[in-house]
Amino acid sequence: MHQQRVVVTGIGVVSSIGIGWQAYWDALLAGTLGTTPVNYFDTSEFPTHIGGEVHNYQPTEFISELPHSQNLARGAQFAVAATKMAMEDADLDRSLSLDNKVGVCLGTTMADVQELETINSDWVFKGPKHTSAAQYKRYPSFSMSASIAKCFGFKGPNTMIPTACAAGNYAIGYAHDLLKLNKADVVIAGGAEPFSRTVFEGFNRIFAVSPDKCRPFDKNRKGMIPGEGAGIVVLERYEDAQARGATVYAEVLGYGTSCDATHMTIPSVNGVANVMRNALKQAGLNPEDVGYINAHGTGTAANDKTECAAIRKIFGERADSMPVSSVKSMLGHAMGAASALEAIACILSLKFGQLVPTINYENMDTECDIDCVPNKSRKFDSKVAIKNAFAFGGNNASLVLAEMNS
Amino acid sequence: MDDNQRIVITGVGVVAPNGIGKEAFWENCAKGVSGIKPITLFDTSDYRCHYAGEVSDFDPVPYLGKKGLRNLDRTTLLSLVAAKLAIEDSGIAITDENRDEIGVVLGSTMGSVKSISDFDMEGLREGPRYVNPAKFPNTVINSPASQVAIRFGLQGLNSTISTGFNASHDAVGYAMNMLKLGRAQTLLVGGVEELCLQTFLGFYKLGLMARGTFTDPVKDPFMAPHKGTVLGEGAALFALETYEGAKQRGAHIYAEILGYGQQFDPECDDRYNPQATGLMGAIEEAFADANLKPEDIDSVSLSANGVKGCAESEEYALEQVFGYRAKELTRTNIRKLIGESFSAGGAFQMAQSLVASKTEPITTAATSVQASANFTANSLVLGSGPLGHMTAIILKQG
Repeated sequence: MHQQRVVVTGIGVVSSIGIGWQAYWDALLAGTLGTTPVNYFDTSEFPTHIGGEVHNYQPTEFISELPHSQNLARGAQFAVAATKMAMEDADLDRSLSLDNKVGVCLGTTMADVQELETINSDWVFKGPKHTSAAQYKRYPSFSMSASIAKCFGFKGPNTMIPTACAAGNYAIGYAHDLLKLNKADVVIAGGAEPFSRTVFEGFNRIFAVSPDKCRPFDKNRKGMIPGEGAGIVVLERYEDAQARGATVYAEVLGYGTSCDATHMTIPSVNGVANVMRNALKQAGLNPEDVGYINAHGTGTAANDKTECAAIRKIFGERADSMPVSSVKSMLGHAMGAASALEAIACILSLKFGQLVPTINYENMDTECDIDCVPNKSRKFDSKVAIKNAFAFGGNNASLVLAEMNS
Repeated sequence: MDDNQRIVITGVGVVAPNGIGKEAFWENCAKGVSGIKPITLFDTSDYRCHYAGEVSDFDPVPYLGKKGLRNLDRTTLLSLVAAKLAIEDSGIAITDENRDEIGVVLGSTMGSVKSISDFDMEGLREGPRYVNPAKFPNTVINSPASQVAIRFGLQGLNSTISTGFNASHDAVGYAMNMLKLGRAQTLLVGGVEELCLQTFLGFYKLGLMARGTFTDPVKDPFMAPHKGTVLGEGAALFALETYEGAKQRGAHIYAEILGYGQQFDPECDDRYNPQATGLMGAIEEAFADANLKPEDIDSVSLSANGVKGCAESEEYALEQVFGYRAKELTRTNIRKLIGESFSAGGAFQMAQSLVASKTEPITTAATSVQASANFTANSLVLGSGPLGHMTAIILKQG
C-alpha cells in the first residue's frame, strides 16, 4: 500500500518576473528583480513602498474561453490561468477521460483578500450597509479552488489549505498523499495569492519589510517584501504518466510537516529542524542524500538565521557547502503562492541541473553560514532537493523532490 | 482491515449555541432546546434579520484561565475551549514524549474574518502606522489552529482546511488520511465559526438568509419551506486516532469513522444542483470506502440549512441512493437547533450524531425532520455547499 510514485507532469506560473514556466525559469537563472513600487494602493502613508506585484498581465483574455471564467477575483484569475498553462503543459486536455478523478489542492494565505479590502473601504467610508454582495461572494478561500474546478469541470476532491506562507507546500504534499491513497488520478496543486494591503500593513507595522530589496542571508538584510502570484503543478502517478507518454519534470518523494507550537511569528530552530527531519523520514532518505535546499529564505533577520541554524542541526558539517538559495530575493514573498512558486523553481533546478541564485547578496553573515548561491546561477548534479516553507503560527512543511530517473 | 487503518473518535469538545460541553449539548439536542436567539454580538437594526445561533455570554476564562487571552479573537477562543474539552475528554496526557505526534486539523474558511477586516479598517481609519501589531497574527486563516498548538504544546501536524460549508467535514477526511499514512498519532479535528457582522453581511447580501418577521424562530428557524438560513457559531473538536492507538491506551471509543467520500460538482453555479450528481458521488465513495451498502445505514445527518435548493437536492440524492428506504431513514438536522455555522457545521453534525442511543427521538420543528434522534449503528453525515463541494461521512457508534 501507498508505494506508488508521484510525479510532476505540468507546470503553470504567474509571477512578478515571468508568466509561464519558461519565462519564469529564464528570469530566475538571470537573477531578475521582480520587486517594484506598489501599484495596487497608495503607499504614501506607509514606511516602505516596494512590493512584488505582477505587472502588465491580465489573465482574463487567456482564460476567457473557459466556462465560469468571468468575474473572478485576482487570486482566482491567477490560479485559473496557471492551471490552464499547467494543463496544456502536461498535455492533459486530450488524454483525460470523464472517468478520471481530477482533484484540486490549493494553498493560500489571505484568500482573495483584495475583495475583503474593498468591503473594508466601503465599510469605513460609506458604512457596512453599503458593502457589495459581489465582493462577499468572491473573497472566501474556497471560491479559489472551486473556480479552478468549475472552469475545467474537475469532479475530484477539491481542497483548500490556508496554512499561510507554507500553504503551497502543504497543498502539493497533500496532493501527493491523495494520489498515493488512490483518492484521485490527477491533482492540480499549488498556491495562489493576490497582493494585499492588509499583509503590507501588518508586516510594515512589525518592521519586517525591506524598504528597497529583499536580501536573504545577507548580514545587512532588512526584511521581506510582500508579493503575489500563482504556481500550479500537475501531479499524477508515475505509471499513469508513463502510460500516456507524458514528460516528467521531477518526482515528489515525500514531505513532512511540523509545528513550532511556541510563538505565532517567531520561528523556532527545533520546529524548522523537525520539519526537514520529518520530510526525509517520510521520503525514506538520509541527510547525505540531499544536494540542494530551496530555502524559505524570507530575508528577515529571524527567519534566515533560524533556517541556517536548523540546516546545520540536520546536516552538520555538510551545511558549510550545502547550496541553499532563496527565490524570494527576486519575487519577494508571494505568501500563499510562495512555496508553490519556489517548489517549481526547485523542480526546474533538478530537471535542468542549474541552481537558481540568491540575488542582492553582498555581505556574509556568520549566522547564515551556508552557500546561498550568491547572485549567479550555476550548474549542479545532485539528484535530491528539499523545498522548505515556514509559516505564521509555526506551520512548517518541507517537500523532498528528486530528479526523475526511469 | 488493519487496526492502524481504522479511525476512531476518542474525545469530544463542543462549544455550541445551545450548550457548552458535551453533556449540555447532548442534553439540549435531545430535549430540542434551541440556541437560536436575538443577536447580541452586533447591531442588526439596519437589516431584516435579527436572530442567530449565538454562544451567549461566552466566557473562556473558566476553561483557560485569564493568562494570555488578551489578544486572541473569538474564533481562536472558541477553538481553544473546544480543544481543551476534547483533550480532557480523550484522557490523552500530552508529554514531551508524544507532543510531536499530536496535531490539529481545523475546518475554518476565513479564520476570524472580523480580525482580518478590523485590522485593515483600523489602518484605513487611523493610518497604517497606527494598527495594533499584536493583532496582526490574528489575520492569517491558520491562526486559530496554530493557537491551539501553542496553547497545548502540540508539535505534530497542524493544518487548516477551508472548503466553506464543508470545511469541518473535509478536515475529518484530511485527518483520516493523515492518520492512515502515519503522519500523526492523534489529531484534534473539527471546525470553528465566529458570528460577526462581516459573515452576517456576506450571507445577508448574497440572499442566503431568512429575512422578515419570524412567526417563531425556534420552531421554524428557516421560515419553511425555504426562505433562507439562520446563522450559527461555535466550535466542535474531536480527538481522532487509529483503533490500534486507542486500544493500546484503553481509550473510550465514541464511534468509528467507517468511510469518507468527497466530490466536486461543477454543475453547482452558486446554487445547488437539483440532480445532486456530486453529492451522490460523494455518498457512493463513502460507501465504497466503508465497504457498506445503502441498507447498512440507519440514520442521516442532513446538511439542509434553509437555503433554497439545498434540502431539495439532498432529498433527491437520498431518494436515488436509498430508493424506497429513503423515507424510513431517521433524519436529523442540527442546524434547526443552532443555525448554519458554516465551517463548523459538519463538526456539529458529527457531535450530534454521537448522542448515540441515549436519547429519545423528538420532534421540534413543524416539519417531518427531527432535530435530534435515537441513533443506532451507522449514520451518514452529509455536507453540501452551493459552490460545489460535496462530502459524505459514515460513522459507526462505538
